[in-house]
Amino acid sequence: MTSIFTHDDEDIANEEYLAGESPADNNDDSAPLVDLRNVTRSVVLADDQQLHILRGVDLQIRVGDHTAIVGRSGCGKSTLLNILGLLDVPSSGQMLFDGTPVERLRSNTRAKLRGSSIGFVFQQFNLLPGRTALENVVTPLLYAGRKEFWRRNTLGMEILDRVGLAARAGTQPHMLSGGEQQRVAIARALVRRPRLILADEPTGALDVETGQAVMDLLDTIATESGAALVTITHDLNVAARARTRYRLDAGVLSSSDGMPVNDVLMGVSA
Amino acid sequence: MTALISTMVEAWSELRIHKTRVLLALIGVALSVAVLTTVVGVGNLTREGMRVDSERNGGREATLGVSVYADPSAAQAPDADRTASVLEATVKRYGFTHASRVTQAQGRFQFPSGVQSVQLTVVDPAYGAIHRVDIAQGGWFAEDDADRLAPAVVVNDAFYAAAGRPNLATAPQVTVLGSNKATAVIIGVMPNRYPEEMPQAFMLTAAAQAVGAAEQMPGMGPELRIWVPAGMAEQLVSVLNADLAQQLPGAQVSVHRSDYAAYGDPFAMVQLMVSGVAALILLLGAVGLLNISMVTVRYRVREIGIRRSFGATSGRIFTGVMMESVVGTTVAGAVGVMIAVAVVKNPWVESKVAPGLEDYPAFPVEAALLGLGAAVLVGALAGAIPALVAIRVKVIDAIRF
Ligand SMILES: Nc1ncnc2c1ncn2[C@@H]1O[C@H](COP(=O)(O)OP(=O)(O)O)[C@@H](O)[C@H]1O
Ligand SMILES: [Mg+2]
Repeated sequence: MTSIFTHDDEDIANEEYLAGESPADNNDDSAPLVDLRNVTRSVVLADDQQLHILRGVDLQIRVGDHTAIVGRSGCGKSTLLNILGLLDVPSSGQMLFDGTPVERLRSNTRAKLRGSSIGFVFQQFNLLPGRTALENVVTPLLYAGRKEFWRRNTLGMEILDRVGLAARAGTQPHMLSGGEQQRVAIARALVRRPRLILADEPTGALDVETGQAVMDLLDTIATESGAALVTITHDLNVAARARTRYRLDAGVLSSSDGMPVNDVLMGVSA
Repeated sequence: MTALISTMVEAWSELRIHKTRVLLALIGVALSVAVLTTVVGVGNLTREGMRVDSERNGGREATLGVSVYADPSAAQAPDADRTASVLEATVKRYGFTHASRVTQAQGRFQFPSGVQSVQLTVVDPAYGAIHRVDIAQGGWFAEDDADRLAPAVVVNDAFYAAAGRPNLATAPQVTVLGSNKATAVIIGVMPNRYPEEMPQAFMLTAAAQAVGAAEQMPGMGPELRIWVPAGMAEQLVSVLNADLAQQLPGAQVSVHRSDYAAYGDPFAMVQLMVSGVAALILLLGAVGLLNISMVTVRYRVREIGIRRSFGATSGRIFTGVMMESVVGTTVAGAVGVMIAVAVVKNPWVESKVAPGLEDYPAFPVEAALLGLGAAVLVGALAGAIPALVAIRVKVIDAIRF
């Protein structure tokens, strides 16, 4: 398999936050990339009542894992993904990112760690309107180190080529189909070669066939790069692709390994 | 699918609408900066015109006026010669470089149309520098003009016109009807300070005495005007008062500042009012821009959420939003300042605003800087408020569908 992820691996720019352990190998006994321990998330509602969105979630994600999380709308999937993506912090419990407890990190440090190690793919693509596909793809490189910044157009074109959209580099999002937009978004999520890819219902806004093509691409490209992929989904086929599957129900996460896919998804599509 | 694309199209057209609005808001900023800068520039020009006028009357900053009167209660007053020599010696002793006696009088001159009484100011050569006298033709008095056989006169344009505008190169003469009839030579012409000015003439002290052109009131000598460094003026007033009173027993000595700056800046009020109006105008421009920025903030919050999820720190977001706004208003401000310069330096405007000025001052740098600074400030404000709002919104809320 050809891979674009063979060049200068030394500039994965995490050393300053993540000194010590090297999570590069994919052994199960290595330290997990993400380790949630009894994580809860609750918010105070307008009437002073507590809403417990996540209740005691334990979850380990290792480099190279492909994980699916399924659950009904409103069960807390996005909240969990936001915590995994360092966009949100647990109300209680612990989260380690590459061995570092994230609640101790300053928000700027979290932002930099997010930029260097995590790539997001959203249901609504979230491309920046008015900017071309290439401009969108290189956006994360604007917040990267000098080397990546100055090579941004080369790096951007490489990854656009990988998702098959090199020819549309100068096209603005509104001129692209939904599937193409999501491929641009995937290119953007991967342009800094993150070790964790978080996809929040990546096929939710696409028709079935386009969704499958996008998931094929996401799976392949994540495998090539050796990144961990966490996908939130309603889609039966998407869930079936993942090696590890979890079910989230009213904030409680349970493993569904070994369960038939239809049981896992029970109620989700109802 | 169609719904999706139409959402995108909608978002895009929304952005385009905002772009137009932002452009309009920037035009608003450019115009209000133009008004602000023009108002301040015109204010400065007016001020300069008024200042030059005041300096011609009261001397430039700082001019001291020294008057010596006979004290009616004293048995014996010093005579005029004694007073004159004391004053002269004092000027020498203090090392004043610019000092002039000044007497206002009426002089009678023979014009082609008949004899006319003219305001005659009897001075020493230094008067020209102290009062920044403007000369349109010929020159002001030099030290050796006092030695001329025929007394020299410097006249204003009204006098010059009444005398028939003779060529100064021919040393034109004019008859002074003092106690001795004498023939004076016109050596310089000053422009009229305002339209319809009456004829005026200046003559040196010695010459005026020789022809008896200016009768003085008994017991009162000429006023002495001294140009001193502004920082020393207050100190010199009290020192000179004490010194002269001691040297001239039996006389009342009055030393005071005669320049316009002595009583504070009389134009501060004008400037303040003008600036107030200008600031108000700019405030309107700022509110307009802020309004637009706030309208676009919702859209901006989402974009910022996306950028933050890809590693932008809050500081980076803040400066980014700020810079966009500041760069926009700075360009708008520069355009506004250019408009203002074009207006204020327009010859017609200049002649209307400061009719007393011969040479118009360069466009005031402080007005241009004020305009630009105000534009930058407006941009910073209009950018900072939405930027603050934006970075306070949680990323998760910003990117929630
Ligand atoms: N900041 C918040 N304030 C109040 N309610 C919230 C907040 N965040 C999430 N929720 C609620 O928590 C529940 C879970 O949200 P979310 O994680 O987005 O669910 P999912 O992605 O599984 O649909 C929803 O009912 C949502 O309304
Ligand atoms: Mg969700």
